Amino acid sequence: MTDNATRAGLPTTRRFLPRPETWLGHISEHRHWAYFLIVPSILFIFVIILYPTANGIVLSFREMRLTRPDLGTDFVGLRQYADMLSDPVFWVALYNTVKWATAAVLLEFILGFAAALTLNRDLPGMKVIAVLILLPWFLPNVVAGNIWALMLDPRLGVLNDIFVRLGFLSEGMAWLADPDTALWTAVVIEAWHGYPFFALLFLAALKGIPKDHYKAAAVDGAGAIQSFWHITLPAMKMVIAAAVILRVIGLVNSPELLLILTGGGPGNTTQVLSLYAFQTAYLRFDFGYAGALSVVMFIILMAFCILYLRFLRIRD
Amino acid sequence: MASLKRSNRMKTVGAYAVAFFFLFFGLAPIVWLIITSLKPEHEIVNRTLTYYPHDPILTNYVDIWNQSSFPTLMMNSFITTTMTVVICVVIGTLAAYSFSQYRFPGKHALLIFYLVVRMFPAVLMIIPLFLILRAFGLLDSHLGLALAYTSFLMPLFIWMMKGFFDTVPVELEKAARIDGCTRVGALVRVIMPLVRNGLAATAIFVAIAAWNEYMFALMLTTSSGSRTWPVGLQLMIGEFQLPWGLLAAGGIISIIPVIILFALVQQTMVRGLTAGAVKG
Repeated sequence: MTDNATRAGLPTTRRFLPRPETWLGHISEHRHWAYFLIVPSILFIFVIILYPTANGIVLSFREMRLTRPDLGTDFVGLRQYADMLSDPVFWVALYNTVKWATAAVLLEFILGFAAALTLNRDLPGMKVIAVLILLPWFLPNVVAGNIWALMLDPRLGVLNDIFVRLGFLSEGMAWLADPDTALWTAVVIEAWHGYPFFALLFLAALKGIPKDHYKAAAVDGAGAIQSFWHITLPAMKMVIAAAVILRVIGLVNSPELLLILTGGGPGNTTQVLSLYAFQTAYLRFDFGYAGALSVVMFIILMAFCILYLRFLRIRD
Repeated sequence: MASLKRSNRMKTVGAYAVAFFFLFFGLAPIVWLIITSLKPEHEIVNRTLTYYPHDPILTNYVDIWNQSSFPTLMMNSFITTTMTVVICVVIGTLAAYSFSQYRFPGKHALLIFYLVVRMFPAVLMIIPLFLILRAFGLLDSHLGLALAYTSFLMPLFIWMMKGFFDTVPVELEKAARIDGCTRVGALVRVIMPLVRNGLAATAIFVAIAAWNEYMFALMLTTSSGSRTWPVGLQLMIGEFQLPWGLLAAGGIISIIPVIILFALVQQTMVRGLTAGAVKG
């Protein structure tokens, strides 16, 4: 507890205890001041996050379709979950979620690491480049998605034009409308949008490794690959773990980019769980089923995080 | 020795090659958006693609601004973003300060909790939020959307701001109190000026996120009275088959504030975002 005695430290300072002139100043001298400061945020989190989330979980056990008020809003037990098991779209979306998150994290990780290693070189101009490459990360999904939709347009897209000129394609392709390429195209776009996050964190972590460690390793005769393996990677273990887990959470939870690029199509080939849950709520107004879908998504995500951290032997 | 020098030079050239690849990869799509926004319609739908605007025009910008609801959409986004930032700054700064400077039972657990709440699926919250906001008459309102944004931006704000408060020595408050300040006085007069840049960077980070958000806005706004620009722009593309030139111009207009704000505080923002990474 941070009462006056421990905060102020010495008994002599008691003589100089401030005389508050305002009510706020008065409150701030209370011994529970540290708690007063966090109470508003806790209230907020409860009202705006915990209550809705708990409510959402409860909803998943009820019938609630805004378009069918005649069905009522009774509890239906596990019916939504049972429906899910026999819903082919759910299984497709689950499979796609795994593909989407794995491929995007891998690609962003590789790009981010390569960028960080390069930009960590002590060369003129690298600092400016390190800031400029962050730009895509700050762009809204609506703009990021539509830039690429524009560049990949089968008739007017500049990328198709380049591929045709280079002889890779005989004519422009509808990358996002072709079931074979839609998901992987979306992964590349997501990587463009998201990899600067990895680059940013990895670059900061690299800069945090003391240069002496590398010098000592060089004296001991370690090559570039050895010092990367024995110094760089161990030093970055925590950052890598944290970055990957944050990114996986983001990729699994947010359907924004796919919502803008494909809306789950063509033929559900880019349908992921978060998008399916959102569309179930937004287009079909079936709140009960959408709730059940997101609960399952949350459980899978939690399970992944716990297994992942255990695998890396990281506590907390 | 000469070969060592040459191998060093090769490495330097290689490093620049990779760096420029990333620069090109990152910025070329944005440059292409600018080029498209400057082309007249006939040049965009032309059979042979032009790689630069042969007669650059600004009509796309004029048209999207004057002939669509774009200014209203931007205004709505501006109001919602401002509300979000104000709520985060007022409530979040207090919490971040407490977490950073004081020790109290349950602090660690609470901080972890603030991290874990970010894992909750947005979709799971969005449905009850829809029902709650509707019950309070806040559906399709600036405040309702701002409150929804606060749900995922407040924890982020607190964590980032705590990092900036951590750079202030704990003894400073003690010293200010000896000089007769109350704790609030010390916070406002002594400590806040020291973390001014950090506060600006954190607030701007939250502002950019709120400005860019799409899914909550799509679900929680239903009319042009509170609809934000990302939703409005996407609807224009879907409903009115918005021409590419206008879309590009709209995209550029709406990312200009983001780029300016980021440019203003980029160094501090990078420091705040990576504070955890450096400590390990």
